[in-house]
Amino acid sequence: MLVLALSDAHIPDRAIDLPSKFKKLLGVSNKISQVILLGNCTKSYEFLKFVNEVSSNVVIVRGEYDNGLLPVSKHSRARESIPINTVVRQGAFKIGCCSGYTVVPKNDPLSLLALARQLDVDILLWGGTHNVEAFTLEGKFFVNPGSCTGAFNTDWPFSTEDEDKQDETEGMQNQDEETDQTAEIGQQQEKEEKDQKNMQDQNQDQNQENQTHEKGNDEEINRDQGQNKSEEEGKEPVEDDLELSELDIDGSNTPSFCLLDIQSSTCTLYIYIYIDGEVKVDKVVYQKED
Amino acid sequence: MSYSETLEQALIVVRQQAVLMQKCIQQRKLMDALKHASMMLTELRKPDLSPKQYYELYIMVFDSLSLLSSYLTDNHPKIHHLADLYELVQYAGNVVPRLYLMITVGTSYLKCTDSPREEILKDMIEMCRGVQNPMRGLFLRYYLSQRTKQLLPDNAIEFNSNFVINNFIEMNKLWVRLQHQGPLKEREQRTKERKELQILIGSQLVRLSQIVDDNLVIYKDNMLPVILEQVVQCRDVVSQEYLLDVVCQVFPDEFHLSTLDSLLGSTLHMNPDVSINKNVLTLIDRLNGYIDRKEQEQEQDTIQGNSNLFEVFWNYLKTLNEERPDLSLHQFIPLVESIMALSLRWYPDNLSNLNILYGFTAQKCRDYGRAIPQNAEYLFANLLILQNFRHVNRSAALFYNIISQCDAFRELLSLQNMVLQKNIIDTLLDILLSASRENEILFVIDSKASLEKLLSVMEPLIRFRVTSTTRRFSNDALGLSDDLTEDEEGNSSWVLDPSQEKLAQFCHLSLRLLPIECKQYLNVENQVEYLLLLRNWYYRGDKNIKYTYPAIISNFWKLIRKSYLLKTRQKLSRKTENDYSNMIKQLFKYASRCINDLFNVCGSSVIDTVYKLNIQSASLADQLSIGEIAYDFFSQAFTVFEESLSDLKTQFQALVYMIQSLQKTRSLYQENYYDTLIVRCTLHGSRLLRKQDQCRAVYLCSHLWWATEIAVIGEEEGTTADFYREGKRVLECLQRSLRVADSTMDNIQSCQLMVEILNRCLYYFIHGDEHDTHVSVKYINGLIELIKTNLRSLKLEEQIPEQQQSTTRLQDLHIDGQDSTELSSRKKFVMGLDGTYIEIPRTNGSPASISNKLNSMYINEMIYIPLEHFDRTCEYIVNQREIDDRFKVIVV
Repeated sequence: MLVLALSDAHIPDRAIDLPSKFKKLLGVSNKISQVILLGNCTKSYEFLKFVNEVSSNVVIVRGEYDNGLLPVSKHSRARESIPINTVVRQGAFKIGCCSGYTVVPKNDPLSLLALARQLDVDILLWGGTHNVEAFTLEGKFFVNPGSCTGAFNTDWPFSTEDEDKQDETEGMQNQDEETDQTAEIGQQQEKEEKDQKNMQDQNQDQNQENQTHEKGNDEEINRDQGQNKSEEEGKEPVEDDLELSELDIDGSNTPSFCLLDIQSSTCTLYIYIYIDGEVKVDKVVYQKED
Repeated sequence: MSYSETLEQALIVVRQQAVLMQKCIQQRKLMDALKHASMMLTELRKPDLSPKQYYELYIMVFDSLSLLSSYLTDNHPKIHHLADLYELVQYAGNVVPRLYLMITVGTSYLKCTDSPREEILKDMIEMCRGVQNPMRGLFLRYYLSQRTKQLLPDNAIEFNSNFVINNFIEMNKLWVRLQHQGPLKEREQRTKERKELQILIGSQLVRLSQIVDDNLVIYKDNMLPVILEQVVQCRDVVSQEYLLDVVCQVFPDEFHLSTLDSLLGSTLHMNPDVSINKNVLTLIDRLNGYIDRKEQEQEQDTIQGNSNLFEVFWNYLKTLNEERPDLSLHQFIPLVESIMALSLRWYPDNLSNLNILYGFTAQKCRDYGRAIPQNAEYLFANLLILQNFRHVNRSAALFYNIISQCDAFRELLSLQNMVLQKNIIDTLLDILLSASRENEILFVIDSKASLEKLLSVMEPLIRFRVTSTTRRFSNDALGLSDDLTEDEEGNSSWVLDPSQEKLAQFCHLSLRLLPIECKQYLNVENQVEYLLLLRNWYYRGDKNIKYTYPAIISNFWKLIRKSYLLKTRQKLSRKTENDYSNMIKQLFKYASRCINDLFNVCGSSVIDTVYKLNIQSASLADQLSIGEIAYDFFSQAFTVFEESLSDLKTQFQALVYMIQSLQKTRSLYQENYYDTLIVRCTLHGSRLLRKQDQCRAVYLCSHLWWATEIAVIGEEEGTTADFYREGKRVLECLQRSLRVADSTMDNIQSCQLMVEILNRCLYYFIHGDEHDTHVSVKYINGLIELIKTNLRSLKLEEQIPEQQQSTTRLQDLHIDGQDSTELSSRKKFVMGLDGTYIEIPRTNGSPASISNKLNSMYINEMIYIPLEHFDRTCEYIVNQREIDDRFKVIVV
């Protein structure tokens, strides 16, 4: 059972469209049985149409820019509201969904844990940060698919230098990373069995990764300061010609989404990231504890 | 001799006579063979045959005569002399057999070296005049043409072409005459038959093209004028349309290029019913195909050499317009379209040609006087979006160039009706936006003036209002189109509008397509100017700005962050640094103006958005350490909240979002800004109408006095010393929310709130020492006791007997053994962050049903919401004991 998690499209307010490679990837298969939109995805006719073509089973939770009610449909005049939270069941899992803009403090793991406990779910999907993440905490699985368009984010911005660092660590730790962007969705299912025995390690990896990520940031900032100093000492004042990447300005991570392949009590998470015009796929396995 | 009654008989006779003729040939009885041939040929006199039937006979006859012909040639002059035979066959009784035999003998003679070729040929073609019946005449002349194909004299191009032209002219005359045979009511039948025969006449032109080869002079001076004269003079629609088409098809493109004037000129003298545009279209297709081939052969010179091609067609168009005012739009506009295609193919860089044509068509539109009929609308749409241009890459760059260089484009567009204009602009936007998908810069909007031109073309869409009469939206699978009235629209529902969506997207696109300056400040300045221009144009959309302004605002935000990064990441002169600082302030003002405009124009339908735009602007300012601006935006958000946000549900989530955003601020500690704001926030929380909302808002407000790390700016729990934290206030908030929870009348809600508060307490318990957070073990234990007591009372509300009764009763009745387990497994509910009741679905993938109100039908199941939530919380506490000893003192 494949469940697609998309978040923070912000079309058309902040982005024009999904990367076309994402659309290609999602458009070809009709294997996805459910789509979950985790906020800020309801303002575009084209986007919703696309999502409906991926799967007619669409679950939506409300992001800060979604209206209280679903966009009006001619066929169903009943005004359906967009909930703040919802729960779906897939296989042995109960999956909680939340856009994250009502979680205080924002993106705080303990708050998210409390929410997962309140909703009595095994997996919590959340959004709103434009940063793809997955970790296990207290035996529960937390997944944020990031922004599927890499839209502008008004949170405290990441810097690209941090991202580079993060990529490096990811690259080292995830050995079964697949760089083939043409890999069709669903194909990966076959590989899943061999990897199951590594599952526990991977979960730990994922946790470690988060920690290293944080450390990485600090190191980066220190290095930054070092650089500034040396510049002040040695060089002439630079001309006003610094090239900024869109990522820096958007304060967002690169476009990303997640696909959850659920087989009874095993959830294989595929993380799709769009980097430099290519789609990179990472994989994490989560097994429900008894 | 006479012909058979039916086609079948005729075919039998032909076959029999052919066999007999062959036998005689074998026996070298020539006279008998000729007799049988003559009898066979008599069948070709048969009237009332359709062209297909006659052709069937003809083919059979042709094959047999080929045998005769070989015999004649082989035995000349040993057994007979063909000159004698040529004389002899003149005595055949009927004209049709006579002429066939004569041509057979004559052409056999031509194969012999000693024959007087030109004389024979002249004689044969002269004699063919003897048959004036159209069908028989046509086939006879076709026979002549087929037989002489390989036998025309060498090096006599002039003679040969005259011979074939002569035959062609006579055939055409016969062909035209066929139209006027028989009763008037069979006219259509005649036309159909004529079209079946057209290939016979067309083949003459093919012959001519073979004869003329690459001799342009003869073609231009001798051949084409005669052909065209015949075509024009015959005044026959079928003939004119067909023959001109064949001329365009069979002669080489180079010839057409040199004779365009005569070709086009001839169309001016055609029968008025001839659809000239078809012929011109064919011609232009040929010319466009020619350039394709030349490009493949890389012969650029030929292309440049013909720079007046457009002029020729343009002059023709003008003449046609003057001389043929009767031409309908359906005939005329496709002509303009094909000339446009020609110009784009031959002179892709010269868009002034297009401008001329757009201007011309616009004039044509105005001259039309009345509204363009619906069935002609598409003609103009085709011109504007270049719908049918196979030879042209319809790229975003092309349309950008057309719009920025052809002022008449907009003129023509504005003359169309509203819905059509909208559809055309929709298509244009789709094409322009496709540029964004390539992820590379495909064209540059070189100046504000060019952007203005693009926007002025889009103006009808910018202003377009969906009204009941213009509502023609596609209503497909999603059915996302609307039929709402204005007042309904105000009520927080959102109507998707694909067109306005495109305008918003265009805003992002156009800011990427600016010319690049070497100084970044100039780039920012340019982007701001473009963005302001976009804003001013979109403002004309009145209420449509609710679709477009968020995009404008987010681009102001992007420019703010860009300016800030450029200011802080580079070492700049003081002046440039100041410029950036001023720019940032100015950008915040622009953003603020947009937000206010949105509020003033769209009112209550966008109130939640306006509120959040203010909050996010504030967050952005805060990240840039501009506390004053951040404070202003937060204040603005509170004003919106207080004055306009009235809906209960909207209020709660809006306030939670404020709490979340304030908790992440860092620059407001000066001037008591932060204190003022969080106190105001908490006050609003405690004033929410519903008790449960109050309670939740207030316990969330506790976080306002407990800043947590923001890793991306280097903060770290345990290391960073100066977090804004005031444990006393945290506890106050929790206490106050507990009081509200306690006073909540609904028992389930009240218990659930307490469990939620317990979870908040655990959050702080993990986060810090008791003397920091003031959330003590004692407090937590007391809360747990209170919850336990309340849950016991809640449990009493459960209506056990009835539930059991109904279950057992069903089981007694043996209604369905399998379902009994289903029935006994109760529904399961949880509560969302906002106090909604979420029923957890029992099957894979099905949606949860979510309700704001308690459903007393399921009161027993709902009682378990706080009960189970409490159990899970206790389990969590027990689990924490393994890693944190402090949890051991919490009594569960």
